[in-house]
Amino acid sequence: MSYETDGVGNNMGEFVTGRVGEIAFASVQHLSLVAQSLVIATVLGVGIAALVYRNATFSAVANGVTAIGLTIPAFALIGLMVAPLGFGVTPAVVVVVFYAVLPILRNAVVGLAGVDQAVVESARGIGMSRFRTFWRVELPIAWPVILSGVRISGQMVMGIAAVAAFVLGPGLGGLIFQGLSRMGGAGSIESIVTAVVGVIVLALVLDLALLAIGRLTTPKGIRV
Amino acid sequence: MSDTATARSEGDERTITGKAIRLEGVTKRYPGQQRPAVDGVTLEIPAGQVVMLVGPSGCGKTTTLKMINRLIEPTEGRIVLGEEDVTDIDGDDLRRRIGYVIQAGGLFPHMTVAQNIAIVPKMLGWDDARVKERTTELLDLVSLDPDTYRDRYPKELSGGQQQRVGVARALAADPPVLLMDEPFGAVDPITRQRLQDELIRIQHELRKTIVIVTHDFDEAVKLGDWIVVFREGAHIAQYDTPERILAEPADEFVESFIGSGAGLKQLGLQRVRDVDLAEAVTARPGDSAADALARAEAAGHGHVVVVDERDRPLSWPSRRALQRMTSIPEAADPKTPVVGSGATLNDALDEMLVSSAGAALVTGHRGAFVGVITVEVVMAAISAVRAAASDAMAGAPVGTNASDPAARGSDG
Amino acid sequence: MAEALASPTDLAPTRRAWRPLVVQVVAILAAAAALVIWLLTADLSPVERETLNARSLLQLIGQHLWLTVVGTVIVLAIAVPLGVLLTRGPMRRFAGGVLAVANFGQAAPAVGLIVLIAAAPFLPDGFWAAIIALVIYAALPVLGNTMVGIRGVDQRLVEAGRGMGMTAPAVLFRVELPLAVPVMLSGVRTALVLLVGTAALASFINGGGLGLLITTGVNLYELRVLVTGALLTALLALLIDWAGRVVEHVARPKGM
Repeated sequence: MSYETDGVGNNMGEFVTGRVGEIAFASVQHLSLVAQSLVIATVLGVGIAALVYRNATFSAVANGVTAIGLTIPAFALIGLMVAPLGFGVTPAVVVVVFYAVLPILRNAVVGLAGVDQAVVESARGIGMSRFRTFWRVELPIAWPVILSGVRISGQMVMGIAAVAAFVLGPGLGGLIFQGLSRMGGAGSIESIVTAVVGVIVLALVLDLALLAIGRLTTPKGIRV
Repeated sequence: MSDTATARSEGDERTITGKAIRLEGVTKRYPGQQRPAVDGVTLEIPAGQVVMLVGPSGCGKTTTLKMINRLIEPTEGRIVLGEEDVTDIDGDDLRRRIGYVIQAGGLFPHMTVAQNIAIVPKMLGWDDARVKERTTELLDLVSLDPDTYRDRYPKELSGGQQQRVGVARALAADPPVLLMDEPFGAVDPITRQRLQDELIRIQHELRKTIVIVTHDFDEAVKLGDWIVVFREGAHIAQYDTPERILAEPADEFVESFIGSGAGLKQLGLQRVRDVDLAEAVTARPGDSAADALARAEAAGHGHVVVVDERDRPLSWPSRRALQRMTSIPEAADPKTPVVGSGATLNDALDEMLVSSAGAALVTGHRGAFVGVITVEVVMAAISAVRAAASDAMAGAPVGTNASDPAARGSDG
Repeated sequence: MAEALASPTDLAPTRRAWRPLVVQVVAILAAAAALVIWLLTADLSPVERETLNARSLLQLIGQHLWLTVVGTVIVLAIAVPLGVLLTRGPMRRFAGGVLAVANFGQAAPAVGLIVLIAAAPFLPDGFWAAIIALVIYAALPVLGNTMVGIRGVDQRLVEAGRGMGMTAPAVLFRVELPLAVPVMLSGVRTALVLLVGTAALASFINGGGLGLLITTGVNLYELRVLVTGALLTALLALLIDWAGRVVEHVARPKGM
C-alpha cells in the first residue's frame, strides 16, 4: 500500500513507540468491550433460544428478528441510540450487545432444534427433569453450533465497536476518528493504520481464544 | 417383440445399429501413484452386444468405461470406434456420438424432461420440430407417456422414471454406443428388476453396443452378452459369456467373485422366451363356463386362462373353480402369476414360488398372453445350460492386458 | 407404470412463500409513511428545515443508492468471475489463499477502511474512496458464495454434461451456474446489505449518502436530524434486502 514508503514507515514506528501506552489502553478497552458484550450476548442469545426453540412460530419470529436486525446498518442504530442514551459507553455497549446477540440466537435455535429427539426422550425417560435435560444434554450437544455463532458475532462486533467510537464509545475506533479529524495533518494516517491493524489483530486473537474455549468446553464425544 | 425363441447374442433378424469398440493397450496412470489405475487393457466390444464390466470397487472398471468416451483421457493406448480411431479427435464431439447414462440418471434438475432429452440433439443442430418428434418417440420407447411427462421436472419423477429419462436422454441422438455407469444402483430392487427388463426390451429393438459397469454380478449375468471380470488395475481376469463364466470360472478370483450358488445364477442366463412354452385353453369374460370347462377337459388341461379383449391375462381358474361358475368373470385376479417373455427363468421361478402355482403365464408384446411356463421346463433348462456351457465357444472377442505375459499368448 | 408416481409438486411460487415478502414491504412502507408524517407535522427548527426537506432528503437517498449500486456492480464484476475462475481445474489451489485475503478484508473495520483509503496518498477520496472501501468490504460474500454454489453442484451432473459432449463452457453456463444461482444470489443479497450499511459511513469522507444526516445530527446534536437519518438508512437497508429476496425468489431456477 502506498503509505508504506520509507518515510511513512519511519513515522509509523515513531507513532507506535511514542503512543504505545495510549494504543495499549485503547486495545484493552476495545477487547474488553467486545468480550464483555459477547458474554452478555451469549447468555441472552441462548436464553431466548431456550424459550423459543420448541415452538415453530416463536422460532420463526426469532429468525425474522435476527434477519431484520442484521440488515439494519450498525451506524444507523448507533445514531438512533444517541437519542435516548446520549453519548459514551452506554450506547456503545447496547449496540454491540444487540448485534452480538443476533448470530448467537440464530445458531442457538438451529443447534437446539437439531438435537436428536431420541436423545432428549431417553434423558427424560431416565428421570431427568426438563431443566436438567436442557442443561446436561441439549445444551452440550448444541454447544459447537452455538459457539460458531459466538465466533461470527465476535468478528462482526469488532468492527461495530470501532464505529461506536463515533458516539464516544471506548476502544480503537477513537484512533480512527482522531485521524479523521486531523485528516492530512501529522500522524493522521499512522493513527488510522494503527487502529485498523489493531482491530484485525484483536479479531484474530479473539477468534483463537474462542477456538481454544471451544476445545475446552466441547464434550469429547462430539468434538470434530 | 418376438415371442419365439431367439438366440440372445447372435443371429437376430434385427439390424445391428451399434458399432464395435476396440481398446488397444489402454493405460491410465495418475500422477503420484505407483500402479496404473488401468494397466494396458486391450478389449474388443462386438457391435450390437451388451458387455458388462464387473469387479470389486476400485478395480478400474469405471475408469475403463470413462476412457471409452474419453471423460478420462488415457495415458497410453488407442480407442477405436467402428473403423475410426477416436483417440485424438475432439473429446466433446466424440461424447456427442456416444450415449452416457449414470446412476440415478444424472438429470439436470433445472430442466424439464423434454429439455433434458433435447440437449444433445440441440448441440448437433437439429431443428425444433425434429427434436420434439424425437422426444416423443424416446419417451414412448422408455414407456413414459409423452404428454404426461414431457414438461415435468426431474424432482416430479420417481427414481425409476428418472432413470428411464436418463436412458432416453442418452439415446436422443441415436448414438451407436451406450455407456452406462452403475445405471441401476440407486433404485430399489423391484424397480431395478423392471428397469433391467426394460433395457433388455429396448436393446432387443435397437441393437446398440452397450457397455455397462456394475458391481452386481447377478445384474451382469442378466443383462450381459459378455462379461469382463476385472481385478485391481483393470486386469482382465476373464472375458467370456455369462454361461461360461458361471460354468468355468478362469481362476479362484473369478470363482470367489461369482460367489456361491453359481448353479442357481444360471437361471438368470436364460429368458422365458428361450424355452418351450406350454399351450393353454383361453376364454374371455362373459363366455359360458361350461363351454370353457368342456374345452379344458378335451385338451386335458387343469386350468383355463381368462384374457381380456387385448389378450392380456386376467385370471387362471382351475376346472374345479369353473364348475362353480355359469359365465366367466370379468374381474382380474391379482394373484395370477405372470411373467414377461423377456424375464429370466430366475424371475419366472420366483413368480411361481410366490404364487405356489408351479407354473406361470407368459406375456409377450403389449402384455398379450403367449403361453405357460412350468417348473419342469425350468428344471430341464438348468440341466441343459450346464451341459452347453462346457462346450467351447468359438469367436470370442479379445480381452487382455498387454503387461500380462500369460494372456499375451492368446492375444490374437 | 406401476412405479410409485412422484406427485407433481406445485412449482409455482406459492402464496405461502410470498407472504413474508409482502409483510416485509408493507411494514417498510408503513414505517416510511409514519416517518414522513412525523416530519411534516413536527415543528422544525430552521437548521432542521434546511436538511429535512423533501429535496435534500431525496438527494441523499439518491447518493446513498448510487453508492450502493456502483459498489454492487463492481463487486459483481470482480467477485463472480473470480469465484468462477477459482473453481476451474488448476486455479482451484489458489482458492484458499484468495478466500483468506477476502476474509481479511472483511475482518478490517469498515469505518477504518473507508477513512484510511480517503486519507492515504495516491488514492482517491470522497465518492471513489468510499467505493473502493465498499468493494473490499463486500466482495467476500459474493466471492465465497459463488465458489460454494458452484462447488455445491452435484459433480455427477457435471460429469453427465461432459459425458453428453457438452463443452466445458457449456457445462459452466448451462449446468453449473444455473444450479448455483440460489446460493450466489444469497451472497449477493448479503453483499447488498453490507454495501447499503457501509455506504452510511461514506459521509465521514464527503462521499455523501444518508450517513450525512447521522453525522450532522451527532455533531450539531440535532436529534430529529439524527433519528431521521438513522431511520431512513435502516429502512433503505431493509428495502434493499427485500428487493434482494424478491430477486432470489423470482430467479430461482424452476424445478428446484
